[in-house]
This record gives sequence, C-alpha cells and structure tokens, in this order.
Amino acid sequence: MNIENLIKELSSSVCIGNIKKASDIAKKELSKYAKVRDFGTLGVIGEINKGATRTLMLDAHIDEVGFVVTSVMDDGFLKVSNVGGIDSRILPALPVTVHGKKDVSAVFVSTPPHLSKGEDKVKDVEDIFLDTGLDEKVSDFVSVGDFVTFSSKTQNLSGTRLSGKSLDDRSAVACLIELASRIYDKELPFNVIFSLAEFEELGTRGAKTASFELDCDEAIAIDVSFADAPDVPATKCGKLGKGGMIGVSPVLNRRITGALINCAEKNDTPYQLEVCGGTTGTDADSISIAKSGVPCGLISIPLRNMHTPTEVIDLKDIESICDILEAYILSGGGIVD
Amino acid sequence: MINLIEKLACIPSVSGNEDGIRNFILNEVSPFAECKVDKNGNIICFKKGKKRAVKKVMLDAHMDEVGIIASSYTSDGFIKFQTVGGIDASVMLCRSVVFENGVRGVVGLKPVHLSDKEERKKLPCADSLYIDIGAANEQEAKKLVKLGTTAVFESDFTKLSDNTIKARAIDDKAGCAILINLLKEDAEYDFYGVFSVLEEVGARGARTAAYEIDPDAAIVLEATTAADLHGVQKENTVCKLGDGPAISFMDRSTLYDRRLYNEAISSSVKCQVKSMVAGGNNAGAIHLTRSGIPSLAISVPCRYIHSPSCVANTEDIYNAFLLSKEMMIKVASGKLL
Repeated sequence: MNIENLIKELSSSVCIGNIKKASDIAKKELSKYAKVRDFGTLGVIGEINKGATRTLMLDAHIDEVGFVVTSVMDDGFLKVSNVGGIDSRILPALPVTVHGKKDVSAVFVSTPPHLSKGEDKVKDVEDIFLDTGLDEKVSDFVSVGDFVTFSSKTQNLSGTRLSGKSLDDRSAVACLIELASRIYDKELPFNVIFSLAEFEELGTRGAKTASFELDCDEAIAIDVSFADAPDVPATKCGKLGKGGMIGVSPVLNRRITGALINCAEKNDTPYQLEVCGGTTGTDADSISIAKSGVPCGLISIPLRNMHTPTEVIDLKDIESICDILEAYILSGGGIVD
Repeated sequence: MINLIEKLACIPSVSGNEDGIRNFILNEVSPFAECKVDKNGNIICFKKGKKRAVKKVMLDAHMDEVGIIASSYTSDGFIKFQTVGGIDASVMLCRSVVFENGVRGVVGLKPVHLSDKEERKKLPCADSLYIDIGAANEQEAKKLVKLGTTAVFESDFTKLSDNTIKARAIDDKAGCAILINLLKEDAEYDFYGVFSVLEEVGARGARTAAYEIDPDAAIVLEATTAADLHGVQKENTVCKLGDGPAISFMDRSTLYDRRLYNEAISSSVKCQVKSMVAGGNNAGAIHLTRSGIPSLAISVPCRYIHSPSCVANTEDIYNAFLLSKEMMIKVASGKLL
C-alpha cells in the first residue's frame, strides 16, 4: 500500500480504549517487514532484529482522542465525557460513531437559537448530549463505558494535503511502516523496534510501559505539532509542507537532535526546528525517563486543526521525516561513542 | 420517498445556484405534469387532475439550501467566506466543505491546546473563520476557487434508526420529495406545484411564482426546528419528532389563515401544532402576494436545522405527504374557502 492510502486507511479506522481496528491494520502492514507482537493492552511492537548490539526504539502513538459514554438515557440521548483533549466548541451537530454492541451513528446536540437566547455560551463536553435517533432501544446497543469517535473519512485537499480525523498520530504510524519497508532488507547498525503506543492522549501511558519493557539504547518519538493557520500565532507553529519539525528541548538528547539535523542538512531534506522550553507533550517526555533513562529525540509532523475531525497534513512532511529517519538509521545515529 | 430525499439531499443547491437540483427535479416530474422554469429559476408545474379545481391551489417547496460563498483570499492561501442563509458558527467549526467545482476544504480553527481559557469559552465570530483548501498561497487558491463560488458542508445521508435519518438540508429536500410524489401520482383535482428558489435569502422565488400562478390558496411544505432534546422543557420543544408534521398558527413572517389551520389540525392524519412563534418560510412572501393569498404551512420537524446534520423522522415526512394531499383536495373542492 502506498503511504497516502495507508494514512487514509489508518486514520479513517479507530483505536480508542478496547476498540483496536487501526492497530489490526498497522500490525498487518508492519508484519510484512518486522516481527510483530501485541504488547499487553498498551500497544503494538514490531522488531527488525539484525543481531546488533544496540537497539533503537521508534515510537508513534496509535490511539486517538474521542469520548466515552457516561450515561444512557431512555429517550435515545447519551451523556459522554472526553477521552483526551477536545474543544467543545466544535461539537454541536457533529456526527460521531458510538462503538457499542454494533456501531451506532449519532449527532451531538446543537441547541436551537430560541433556547440559547442569543448568547453564544459554550457548553462543556459533559453538557452536550449525543442524539442517537433511537428511543429506549438505545440500551440494546449502547452501554456506559462504550467509546465514541469522530466519524470523518480522510480525503484529499488540493496538492499533497490530506484532511481527516486522527492524522494525529496515524500519519506517523504510516510513516514508520513506510520506513520499515525501506530498511528491513538492509544492513543496519542497530536493531530497530517500532512501538505503536496506546493511550498517548491520556498522558503517554503506552509509551511509559513500552519503553520500560523494551529497554532500548536510544529512542525517537514521531508525533504531530501545530502548523500555521490564520488564527495561530506564527511563533507557536511550524509551516505546513516545509518539512518535519525536529524537536529541540532540555528533555531531549542533544546528540540525537544534532544527528537528526545533520542527516537533514547533508541530504538537503527540508526540515524545521521546534523549540520547547521544557517537556514536549509527546511520548518522548516519558520514554526519556524510562528505567535509568533512554536518550530520546523527537520529530513532529506539522498539522492543522489538531484533535478535530478535519486535521490537515501535507504528505511532503511525511516524506521529509521518512528520509531523515532513514538517513539517521543508516548513518548509525547520534550517540555512538 | 426516503430514497428520493437521499438523492435530493446529496445534490448541493445553495441559494442562487440551484441548477443541479432543478434539472434533477425536472427530470423526475416532467413526465407527470406540465413544467416550466420561470425567469427566477422556479419550476412551476401544472398537474392535471381528474376534476377541475373550484379553488386554485399552489403547493410550494423550496429547492435551495443554506451554504457558504467564497468572498476573499488571505495572502497565505486561505479562503474567507460568507454564509448564504443563516448558519451558526458553532456548526461550521472544523467541518469539511465541498465547493461547486468539487474542490474540498475544511473550516480551520486554532487548536484547543493553543487557546486560553477565555477563548475556549467563546465561539469565534463568523467573520474570523477561514477555509483551508490545501493551497500553499493566494495564487494557488485563486486558481482553485473563484470568488463567488458556493460550497456546502459535507454530510453523509445516514439512517440513525428504523425511522430517523440524518442528512444535510432536510430543510427543504423533504418538502421537495413530498411535492415530487404528489405530482407523480394521480391527482383528484388540478393543482400547481412550485419548486422555488432563493427561500433562504428572503423567500424571493416563491413571491414571483405566487404572482405568476395567482392561486386562491397556498400550502407551503417546509421543515421546522424541533427542540425535543434531552432536558428541554416541553413548552420549549416547538415540535417533536414522531408526532407528525407541525402546523403553524403564526411565525415571524405569517399569521396563517385560520380556516386552513383549523382544518389541518383536526385532520385524522397524525399532526401537531407548532407550539412557538418563531422562524419564517415562503408563506411570509406568498400570503402578501397580489391582494393576499390564504396560506398554510405543513412542516417536517427537524432537529439541528441549518446544520450539516439535520435529523428527522420518516413517518413525519410520510404524514406530511398525506396531510398535504388531504388539504389540497379540501381546498380545491371549494368546500373550505
């Protein structure tokens, strides 16, 4: 599958809580190039073992933001709470899928103007009910604890840009699978482990346990970061289509960061720098302090409308990250003594 | 009938840009009625019945829908837009749109992560919104979307339950479907059917069609707000899904003819009174045309009207069909007015 189709298929699928359809797709694709196993309940691991003495861990999270049902009403409405960071302003009249005994389509309630009295008061997620169009039969299909996700399908915008849900971080998962296809049959200075962690959106939980279990010598996390848009301050974002954003932060390993930059410079691969004064809000924060510490780098895909059904990425940036990581691996990485 | 609504709902018909839906409807009804397109683009159909009508009846359904129109570009390739008809900002954020030339875009929003507490509690004003079509700069955007190009919000037609549907523009594709079916079957009396343009920008099509036809009475087939949502007091629901079409005694544009209203609400067909003086429709223009035309509105209750995710009950639509047929016969026979 080419990377564009892989991104579309992965992001249009679902991975939240116990619903792991996207993991199954990722496992199937990754297993063409790496030895794949489930890692308990917290993710998927693919290993390319070259019998080397050192192991590099590449992390991308496979979970997505969404909702969980907290109450089922007998008039067919549901009360939900958010799973991960959700902007409640975008919810009115938004279509979603409830993953109950079967998939149930539903729409977030939009309060008609005669009831909002002209105020544009934004409600909390917990106060915006979900309308399933069902009556008391709703409880045949939906229970408290069921997960809910955006129901958009990823589609092309003009040029090399795509829009859809959970491109954060499925486009990075696709990037790693593409990378695996490029390196699996080459001689490598490392063993490479691909860690597709769950529960990143709930505080990088999968990455914590995976980096403990895997005990790698070094790691690079691939996540998304903010891209330019008219209402986003230019100082707080990268530019869409201008290359992967290499993270520079006190919590990241300077030698890995330097090597990533070198790899991009040497091959004229477009890249951008993203500077964080402290933690990065990604799996890298947890991986870097696993066990007695794992030197960790970070590279991010610029993305617009984060955590919405219409996130936007540019395939050129995925290509850039793939190229940088491939060069990094083939050149032996940044922390060789 | 429901298949027909699905087809109609999938044809974009933003006010002033009704060509596609006009051709579709002409194709459907021209074997069954004499059809002409007037100067404004309304379809005026004369249906020959078994008997000559004592009173000339006009049935109206508007074929336009709310949408957006490209109004300017930003220097970095985003498209600014205005709404055509009333659309609340809250149902536009982070939605996909399709322009009439097939170009796709999304309405962008600064990510929640970068928004401070106050911003998260306030809806952005409609003027600050922008569409991202994937263009890298203004030149590219200009090539893809000319100013004045209209767009609709993407929305799949979905069956939520056995008798509830979710679609864009059930207002007033449901009315169009009812009128198409009335024209297709044998009629008791001669009548006129109008598929009107430009309702959403001030009931402009129906005004000239009513002048042209000069009827003794008009029946407006519409959709109206249903606020039968969880937690809403009964007196604020306006009307309720499943209780039949809503009959208006008064709204913000019309005081309806009491003879028609009383006859309609005492019908054996399941129907309900629209219990709030709110909104308006083509009756506002029709009842003031020429020296005045007694008018009746039969409306399909619709949740989240003017959003991309309208929700309606299919039995209500069928009952609206039955009631409009019954009322048309009663008026045409001359016994009522």
